[in-house]
Parts: sequence; C-alpha cells; structure tokens
Amino acid sequence: MELIEVAIKSIIIGALVGVGVGAGAARMFHAPKAQGMGAFRTLGELNACAGDAASHFSFGLGFFFNAWASSVGAGAFTQDVDHRIIPNWAAAVLMRKGRRPEDTLHNPKKMAISGGIIGIIVVAFLNLTASAIPESLQAIAVHVLVPAANLLINPVMPVIFWLAALDAGKRSGFWGTIFGGAAHLIMGNAVPGVVLGILIGKGVDDSGWNKVTKTLLISVIVLFILSAFFRGFDIQLLESMYITPPEWLLDFHKLLGLEVK
Amino acid sequence: MTTQTESLEKDMYKSFWYADWSFPIFVALLSAGIFAGTHMYYVYKIGAFNDVAIVAMLEAGIQGAGYGAAAAFGASFLFARVLEGALVGILDIGGSLQTGIGIGVPAILLASGITAPVENFILSLITGALLGALVGYSILAIRKLTVGQSNSTFGADIMMGAGNASGRFLGPLIVISAASASIPIGIGSTIGAAIFYIWKKPVAGGAILGAMIFGAIFPISLE
Repeated sequence: MELIEVAIKSIIIGALVGVGVGAGAARMFHAPKAQGMGAFRTLGELNACAGDAASHFSFGLGFFFNAWASSVGAGAFTQDVDHRIIPNWAAAVLMRKGRRPEDTLHNPKKMAISGGIIGIIVVAFLNLTASAIPESLQAIAVHVLVPAANLLINPVMPVIFWLAALDAGKRSGFWGTIFGGAAHLIMGNAVPGVVLGILIGKGVDDSGWNKVTKTLLISVIVLFILSAFFRGFDIQLLESMYITPPEWLLDFHKLLGLEVK
Repeated sequence: MTTQTESLEKDMYKSFWYADWSFPIFVALLSAGIFAGTHMYYVYKIGAFNDVAIVAMLEAGIQGAGYGAAAAFGASFLFARVLEGALVGILDIGGSLQTGIGIGVPAILLASGITAPVENFILSLITGALLGALVGYSILAIRKLTVGQSNSTFGADIMMGAGNASGRFLGPLIVISAASASIPIGIGSTIGAAIFYIWKKPVAGGAILGAMIFGAIFPISLE
C-alpha cells in the first residue's frame, strides 16, 4: 500500500518539478529579457554540451548515479536532480534527432513537456528503488564527478566571475573584490559576493548613485551582516583573534536559538 | 524586414511561455514539487531535493537538536537569491527553492510547532505553490523597481559570459579528477575526451563515458 502511495506522490512531484525546471532552464537562454530560473552553472554546463544529445545524456547520467547513491544512503536526492539531471536529459530527449538547440533547448514549451516526463521517471525511480546500484559506477561518481564539480564550484567559478568583475570596470572590480572576499569568509564561496559586486558596480556605472543602487548596496550589506551573525562568524572572528567572546554576545546568539560552541 | 523580426520578437516575449506574468506560475509548480519532496522525506525518509549535508541540518531538527541552523541557513539563502535573481534575470533554484523553501521554511514551520503542511501531502503541495508564487511575484516586483526603472541590466551580460566560461572548464576538470582516481580510469577518461574532441563533441561527455567504461572493467573501491 505504501509503495503505491509513494509511486503516486512521486509522479505528481516529478511532473511539477520537471515542468518548472524545463521551462525555467529554457527561459534562462532568453535572460535578461525573460526571467529564467536554474543557475549560472546549469546554463554553462548546458552550453558546454553544445546541443549534442549524447553529451547531455552522459553528463546527466554521471550525476544520476551520484543522486541515486545519495538517495539510497541518506534519502537526499542532491540538488543535481533539478540542476543537472532533469535539464540535461530533457535536452537530450528533444535533440535525439539532431535538432538545433535554438528550436529545442531554448524553447520553454518543449523543455517543459520533456522535463515533465523526465521528472516523473527520475523522481519515481529514485523514490522506489531503495536497492543498491552497481558499486563500480557509484565509485566513479564519487571519485571522478564529485571532485570535478567541487573544483568547478570552488575555486574555478569564483576566479572566473572575479576576473570578469575586474575586467568589467573599476567599480565592478572594487565591489566584486570586497564582497567576493567577504562572501568566501562568511558563506564559504565567493561567487554570490562577486555577483552582487558586479550588480552594484554595473548599476552605478549605468545609472549613478540613485535610490535603487543605494538600496541595493544597503540590502547587500545587511544581508552579509545577518548571514555572518547567523552562522556564528562574529564569534569565530573574535576567537581567531584570541579575544574571548563577551558573555552578552553568546547570550544573544542563544536567545535567537543558535547555540555557538 | 528588421522591424518585422523585432516586432515578432516583441510578441514572443509577451506569449505565455516567455512572459513575465507567467513566471510566478513556473516558480509555483517547481516550488510545490520541492516542498512536497520535503514532505516525502519527513514521512518516508526519502525524496528531499537537496544535498546530504543540507538535509542533515533538517534531520538534526527532526531528531530534536533544534531547527535554528536549517532555518537561518535556508532563509538567508532565499533572501540573497531572490534579490540576485531579479537583477540578473536567472533565479538560482538551488539556493532559493531547494534550500530556502525546501529546507528553511519547513524548519521554521516545524520549529513553531506547525506540522500539518509538512505531514500532509496535499497541504504540502498548496504551501509550496503559494510560497513559490510569492517568490515569483517578489522577483517581478524587484525587477520593475530596479531594471525596469533605470535602463541598466546590472551587468547581467557579464555574469552570463562568466557562467558560460565556467562550463568550459568542466571537461578538463573531469579528466584531471579521473586521473587522480585511478590510472585505468584516467587513461579511459583521456581517450574518451580526445575522441570526442576529434568528433567535435563536448569534451566533458567523452571524459565521463571513458571513465565509466574503464571504471567498469577495472573497478575501484568506494572508500
């Protein structure tokens, strides 16, 4: 009985997620004119496969084994189901007859339909097969794809975005450097900071210090302060400077439900 | 001729699949699925749309160790990504929906003792859809107030370029990782990448296939 329940729920979830991811990914190719959703890295990887069905499929397959292992082991699909497996496989299905990416991968309607179908299959499969996957393939995913993806996320992407910020002009370079460094310290990855730095720099380049750009800068600073606080960065900073954190600060963290060791 | 294509393009960006007004619908669909995925994890311990490390934060809360970490982590990601998504034209679904709505919001709800939206499948779909629509409309509102008002794209072209450039690194990175995993896998990956390059196919795909074929013949242990 539970199996049927899981199967029905998986089909509904897979369809919803697949349609959203498919349409969002295709709309990314029309950004910023149309608002897309996905990720910069998804966009880059989809382009790296250059509209070749076999490459889209094998790229998705590598991450599929990893997602499968993680689902069997910990019940967590990994973010790759939405970021990599569904968009790449949906693209592979559409391109199987060698059609141009402009007519397939970049078309939200076609990607939503094929994404929905792939979503149903992938989610139902992952939820229903708690049995083991071939260990040799799981090992490839863990030893080859995961390190490569981790290298891409850190340090390759931060460096590329950072250099793009430096090349984009003085303001982007300055704010990108400030927020990039702060983001790596606080969040562990510089990309969000560099992106926000480019936003501010280019915004000011194009339209000066007006209400919009000022609000943007202030909200970014507030965001950094808040996430630093909630991740206990303030306490770590004091401790790494060999200063004992004051009792009231520790109490303040406790008050908000965050125990700091 | 040019004016004709321009007006055609203008019409395209007004149609359902490209328009701004349909964006919240797509976010709502995806978000409903992701939130229901968290429901699956809560009930059946399988199906959360996130990485092990992040799901572990929610699991810590379910086990009674406090939801603070998951809630703060998810909420701050959601806020940052909504702001960024509106300005650059691409909403990062990993931070905003998978971590923010899929982990952060359930953590906040469960911490306040509201379990129904996570325990009940139908309610989880509705909650996810409503939150997703809210995110979608917030993004459109921020877009109107910023990009629409000031004629600036806030460097979106620069970031698209950087995003594309980083994808190119993937092929060589896979060969390097494969070569560090074991000698046969490294050889397979190198051959696969070289063949795909000659065939004018993306190097990343060949590198993975080569690594998998040689990895199946000469398996390595998972440890």
